[in-house]
Amino acid sequence: MSSSKDAPRKGRTWGLSIDEWAVVAALVLALLVRVGILRNVPW
Amino acid sequence: MADVTVLPQVRPVNPAGQILQLVPGVLLLAVIGYAGKVIEKSLGTYAKAHHLTVPNIEYVLWAILIGLLVSNTVGVPRVFRAGVSTYEFWLKAGIVLLGSRFILGDVLKLGGVSLALVALELALAISFMTFLGRVFRLRPKLTSLLSVGSAVCGVSAIIATEGAIDAEEEDASLAIAAILALGAISLFTFPLIGHALQLSDRAYGLWAGLAVDNTAEATAAGALYSDAAGKLAVLAKTTRNAMIGFVVLGYAWYWARRGQAQAVGNKSAFLWQKFPKFVLGFLLISGLATYPVFDKAQLTALANLSRWAFLLTFAGVGLRTNFSEMRKQGWGPFAVGAIGEVVIAVFTLAMVVAADRLLRL
Repeated sequence: MSSSKDAPRKGRTWGLSIDEWAVVAALVLALLVRVGILRNVPW
Repeated sequence: MADVTVLPQVRPVNPAGQILQLVPGVLLLAVIGYAGKVIEKSLGTYAKAHHLTVPNIEYVLWAILIGLLVSNTVGVPRVFRAGVSTYEFWLKAGIVLLGSRFILGDVLKLGGVSLALVALELALAISFMTFLGRVFRLRPKLTSLLSVGSAVCGVSAIIATEGAIDAEEEDASLAIAAILALGAISLFTFPLIGHALQLSDRAYGLWAGLAVDNTAEATAAGALYSDAAGKLAVLAKTTRNAMIGFVVLGYAWYWARRGQAQAVGNKSAFLWQKFPKFVLGFLLISGLATYPVFDKAQLTALANLSRWAFLLTFAGVGLRTNFSEMRKQGWGPFAVGAIGEVVIAVFTLAMVVAADRLLRL
């Protein structure tokens, strides 16, 4: 059944929600840290 | 004259343009967040050099206060607004990266405790807010939105429920304004109460995660107490967020049975659609950190990236809080929310203190 509730969530940017973009960004950052491109991140 | 149908103009989607629109606001978040960090450090250095004893006010509070000052005096100019609204993205990226600071076993242990406490909190919050809504004669769907907002996770839950129960946009705006106003108050009251009761970092963090509604405010309220409390607040709040799909599905079913909302078709697809995906990202990073995919230096780098993401979030929390806008929303929903929040805060505090003593969290 297709209803408004089953439709994709509003507010998607380029096919992904904010949640999904945040996960993608965090995983990319984790990968950059793992392969050594990002190291010694100061705080 | 024949009717003329005016089609809405479709603006061309230009990814580079969309990203450029975000730059000023993101820079504003960074400047305000970094200013908070500089003020914290400068005050500490000054106090040490002059042998003064002053309370250490964390960058979290400075960033929020500067944001509040800007938002409630000069306001946030239009050019910055798109970028400022990315604070939610930074919050969720920060939470995923924070997974690197948790061993999976701790997540399962503390997450299990959180889950039991969250179940009790949900039951109390939903039934008490429903009761209060009836006493104050709020519209039933507005009461449902306030219940979801205070039981699960603030604004996200209200937006998810609005569509699922076919609620009026005005009701959603009222519920969101009430939850945001109460979240702003929690930021300043929770740490004071926690210190007055001398709560441990773990007990306070769990309490903030269980009782503060919006994820950004819960994260900030935890971080204002201590770094360790901030970690626990995020874990407890994430557990609460994971419940969003079930609660929204329950409300959708309730209103559909009364013929005032469409029935949900595929329930599994509905739950997946509403499930906050950053919870999975958090667990994934925690799993990678546990089966050591990262060495110690890399874990420190990930933890610091998480801190930078939260820094932008805290600046955004201040910038998006405008008290004069909130005042326009009326006192009914705010009163229901406020009374409900106080009761939920007291109840969750009692639960957390009891759990801390019994289980030695």
